[in-house]
Amino acid sequence: MLLGRKHKNPIKIADKGVVDWKYTTCGYCSTGCSIEVGLNEKGEAVTSRGVGSAAVNRGKLCLKGLFEHELFRTANRGRVPLMREHPHDKFREVGWDVSLTRVADEIKRIQKQHGRDAFAIVSTGQIMTEEFYTLGKLARGVIGTNNYDGNTTLCMASAVSGYKRSFGSDGPPGCYEDFEHTECLLAIGSNLPEQHPIIFWRLKQALEKRKFPVIVVDPRVTMFAQMADIHLPITPGTDLVLLNALAHVILDEGLEDRNYIAAHTQDFDRFAELVAQYDPVTAAPVCGIDEDTIRNVARLYARAGAAMTIWTMGINQSTHGSDGVVAINNLNLITGNIGKAGGTSLSITGQCNAMGTREWSACSGLPGYRSLENEEDRKTVADYWGIDAEFLPPKRGLFQTDIFPAIESGQIKGLWLVATNPMTSMSHTARIRKTLEKLEFLVVQDAYSDVETNEYSHVYLPAAIWAEKEGCFTNTERRVNLTRNVIAPYADSKPDLWIFNAVAKHFEAGKKIRFPDTAEGVFDELRDLSKGRMLDYSGMSYAKIEQQRGIQWPCHEDAETGTPRLYSDGVFQYPDGKARLIALPFVDNNERPDDAFPFWLNSGRVVEHFHTRTRTGKVGNLNKFSPTPYMEMNPDAAKALGIEHGRYARLSSRRGDAVVLVQLTHRVPPNMVFIPFHFHECANRLSLGLLDPHSRQPAFKHCAVRVEAAADQALAAERNMNARTY
Amino acid sequence: MYKIRQDEPDYAFIADAAAPECNRYGKPIQLVDEGDVLAGKSLHINGDPSVGGGADRYKQHGFYFNADNCIACHACESACSEKNDLPPHLAFRSVGYVEGGTYPSYQRLNISMACNHCDDPVCLKGCPTRAYTKFAEYGAVLQDPDICFGCGYCTWVCPYNAPQLDPVKGRVEKCNMCVDRLEVGLKPACVAACLGNALDFGVIETVPQNRDQKKLRIPGFPTPDITQPNIRFQQTRTLPREMTRPDNMPLRYQRQGGVTGEYSPKVATGQDRPGWNLKQLHTREDPLVVFTLLSQAVVGAFMVLFLAALFAPAFLSPAENPLAYGLILGGLIVAQTGALALSTLHLGKPHRFYRAFNNLRYSPVSREVAGIALFYNLLLAYTLLTVWPGLSAVLPGTMANSLTTFAGWGAFIVGPVAIYFMYRIYRIRARPFWDHWQTLSSFMGSVMSLGGTVGALFYTYLLAPSGETAPLLLAVLALVVALGLALEGVGLICHRRAMHNRGGEGAASQYVQASRFGKTYRTRNLTMLLVIGVMAVMMFNPPASWTAVLLWWGVFGLVLGMAVTGRALFYALVVPTTLPRAFFWRNAGFESHARQTGLAALPQVGVIADSH
Repeated sequence: MLLGRKHKNPIKIADKGVVDWKYTTCGYCSTGCSIEVGLNEKGEAVTSRGVGSAAVNRGKLCLKGLFEHELFRTANRGRVPLMREHPHDKFREVGWDVSLTRVADEIKRIQKQHGRDAFAIVSTGQIMTEEFYTLGKLARGVIGTNNYDGNTTLCMASAVSGYKRSFGSDGPPGCYEDFEHTECLLAIGSNLPEQHPIIFWRLKQALEKRKFPVIVVDPRVTMFAQMADIHLPITPGTDLVLLNALAHVILDEGLEDRNYIAAHTQDFDRFAELVAQYDPVTAAPVCGIDEDTIRNVARLYARAGAAMTIWTMGINQSTHGSDGVVAINNLNLITGNIGKAGGTSLSITGQCNAMGTREWSACSGLPGYRSLENEEDRKTVADYWGIDAEFLPPKRGLFQTDIFPAIESGQIKGLWLVATNPMTSMSHTARIRKTLEKLEFLVVQDAYSDVETNEYSHVYLPAAIWAEKEGCFTNTERRVNLTRNVIAPYADSKPDLWIFNAVAKHFEAGKKIRFPDTAEGVFDELRDLSKGRMLDYSGMSYAKIEQQRGIQWPCHEDAETGTPRLYSDGVFQYPDGKARLIALPFVDNNERPDDAFPFWLNSGRVVEHFHTRTRTGKVGNLNKFSPTPYMEMNPDAAKALGIEHGRYARLSSRRGDAVVLVQLTHRVPPNMVFIPFHFHECANRLSLGLLDPHSRQPAFKHCAVRVEAAADQALAAERNMNARTY
Repeated sequence: MYKIRQDEPDYAFIADAAAPECNRYGKPIQLVDEGDVLAGKSLHINGDPSVGGGADRYKQHGFYFNADNCIACHACESACSEKNDLPPHLAFRSVGYVEGGTYPSYQRLNISMACNHCDDPVCLKGCPTRAYTKFAEYGAVLQDPDICFGCGYCTWVCPYNAPQLDPVKGRVEKCNMCVDRLEVGLKPACVAACLGNALDFGVIETVPQNRDQKKLRIPGFPTPDITQPNIRFQQTRTLPREMTRPDNMPLRYQRQGGVTGEYSPKVATGQDRPGWNLKQLHTREDPLVVFTLLSQAVVGAFMVLFLAALFAPAFLSPAENPLAYGLILGGLIVAQTGALALSTLHLGKPHRFYRAFNNLRYSPVSREVAGIALFYNLLLAYTLLTVWPGLSAVLPGTMANSLTTFAGWGAFIVGPVAIYFMYRIYRIRARPFWDHWQTLSSFMGSVMSLGGTVGALFYTYLLAPSGETAPLLLAVLALVVALGLALEGVGLICHRRAMHNRGGEGAASQYVQASRFGKTYRTRNLTMLLVIGVMAVMMFNPPASWTAVLLWWGVFGLVLGMAVTGRALFYALVVPTTLPRAFFWRNAGFESHARQTGLAALPQVGVIADSH
């Protein structure tokens, strides 16, 4: 009271009255932050905070995590199962038994009439590992469709494919702790501060202790690019050329680790022959990075005692995404930077449990990194589940991105979507609408009844969300972490595990196979099935995971804790134990700007939103930072077209059009615009999404568009408003 | 007491650092000594009587912002909103940015800003209710929403937009420095949440570990002269010479000299073409347009009537025309009552109106309210004594006369003094467009032009039926109107020059006036010239009878229209010295767009439709 009143009222500061804290793992991205959710006396979730001793986030959370407790009561959560004859009818509220009986009957009918694979299942990266495993058991062991995949095809498939091609198995070999040891960090197509702010903070912490060069490859001047020591503003879609050129310089100048190459890799000669064609002089005009810079970066990387590469969608979502990942692995193999502290190829994963689905869902293979193509794997799993091994197909079925065209052309008649929203997330929205219309039967299982894809469903199953359930997620650095049940599921929504178990009971085969009721019961099966394998869970238990704030697999049966890195012994998962160096010729098959569509459209993410905004769009304190779609455009380019800051513009591509607010900024070059992909009826009305030949992941990242000022601003505003209302 | 977790990470605790005796403003950092009567007291946080804090409890604390490191991840603002349980439309801390350069040599500088717990807290001084206190504990400037009546004046005077007027709750709230956390040695929630290692907190003038600078300025940060803020910066990266804002404020920041030069605000031209934009003249301050003009008109009209009663021909005196005077004085009272009611209803919490007088010592708002209230009462007394003969009859002797004279002269003097205090309200350094004597010339000009016109209308009505004339009186009134307008005109010319010379936010307001509202503004000023001309003609050829009534009605219409337009522009144009905003968040342009298109109706958009 230096100034002001002598007699003051007590100071009031918001007190949420927390009486209990529950341990969880964040359900947004794959950083894997530990969160404590605070409950008040009434048992309501009122606050979230980062766990102070958490191995990953050490007390920190990004803004999405800080408001994660609000998710339980966000608008338009699904209350009860809904059902209708046709998508043009109105939904009726029905009970679980009625809705699940219909689901089972329709699956049986479609499979009987059109064959087992005419019913497809597309799942997600959002639910718990135990649920993925159970869904896999249901899909492969009970329903028996081979057209079963996850939406991880849209985000991490190229990383999976690249890891498999290089190392003989999926599984990111590094960890966040590598930042503390590396002497050079190369980040390609990763906007860490925006997409994975906590991982960025870990990097920042490491840099505060010990400075090392940070090189960022991104066509946009992101905050990460700005903070980098060297920013390479690459021409979209040419990362493979740059990576080949880096390898060229390293081999040309003899900077490679010959001992490592000889001891731990195969096929060096063919690889060397190919990269010999990618000298920096030839590469520079293609990738837009000058010759000197390519040489400088190559030398810096190769001469560092330990160097690591991280990447995200900038690599994966490309027509040669898998090749890009392999090229990164090539770079690290020839410099001996795999499995050592500070030397790694670390894909920064997207969804909270993209890793869990890769490991256990049996989408692309069988649980525990087993493959359908391997007879022994089929037999092991079939025996464990108690089914006939012949029931399992000897070859994986369609990828998610091939399932939709198969619906379009009539081979697939029924679809079950679990926590995924293709109406917003998949390329070429108009085509997806047309595709979904053709389904004889669509089940949408989601926490939100307003998820846009629900417009086309016959049955909607309301799922519980995040900590309304219990189970594990695996994060980017293979850390298995636990979410404890915090509160009961909203209204009559049910945990996905309960739903899968209940569906199984509607099938004869499902009644015979064991489907444990609790997540922890399922976890025991994971431990059994992983024992002695690379992704060994057998040393973990729920209590141990919570106590250690997550454990990195492999964690062997009697091990105290997990393992920070893979392949530290230089033994890879190929039968001969050697990694493959693969020759990667660059094929430029993606759409490029031309006279009719003169701009690159570059899509990406913003920190306040997650994927298709079904969650973050409803949390006001997140959504307010970008409540409506917008485009970053270069002011010089805009001026020539009469496009103004803060007003609407219309973009069109060969697929469709979109209306966005214009933000003029020199962050993007004059021939490029950037749009966050999160918004419904926006970026994916324009995108092409050509598929990668190996991973079948769409090249969301770029296509060609035309831009014009919206002639009628009021009409544009009205249309935009219309698409935001729910 | 705030509960510290067992596993609370080290970075969350306030670091010990040796601070100098005095801060850069020459004030002691130790605010009171241990033995002081103010020391050792509990902050009574949520009624908790315990006393927390360490050795530095009575030292001025402040935020430290390393602008090199901020990545605009919003963790600070979110941690703040989460802790303080704020709805989406409010934020005690906000992140905005400025950007510059061309691709790929582009740079963006993010700025996270909350309350700076200033040495000279203008919010505290401006608040009429005394809702603010600067505490000896940590030097925190805290505001008590239970005292606040929601006038929003603190949101005008603060250069950093720290106080937040919540239109839903009808009161202001602001950053509380997380004193509950400070009491147990923890940094504020925003600082503990920072993911770029940009925000820090500690005793002022200390530099966190691994940091070198303690600057007082970064591009986009308003001049620290206004409030002596307790924030220090690091900003070592070389930025482009010119930085622009992503919001709709027509400002850019230009560096003078070499890389160590300071950035100062300049007008960003080229955004608008000259237009009318009449709809945009509506702001949430519309009630103040009415309040100020009505008060000025009433004061002016009273002064005219009072003087005329003394000097005008006897047949126009109140004694001869009790009914007419009763009507006009009654009319003025009704108008002033309406104005007061409107300004009271403009408050977030009208039932707390009586708190307006709490801060006569510092707040121009308190003084203005006191002045207007006094004038109102004197006007009331004068009117009663003048038009109610029964009252004079019961009063002994000449008392009625003396009282009338006292009340009349009292109101005659207090009225303009109240208008002067009304003007003092707008001498706000954080609002350079208002911070000029032109505000006074405009207010006094309105007193004269509106008062003169109302007076003239009254007398022409009084004269018309009888056919009598009072040419001198009407000529004088025409002169008063003309002088009032001329005074305003001269003020506008000088104001324009001053704003141009000053540059920055004031010049930006001028620019908007000349562009977005260019046609409106020009038309208004031409009308002003026209009326001055008409007045000159009417001075020398005073019209009579009903022609006069008609003509003066015409003049009244023009003067009123001009006054309303001018005052609406006054409120709509002001560009405060706020920090740069983001493209959506806190961008006034997007907020008004959201209100117009209906996006604001969706709560998740974080823009609240104006409730006034």
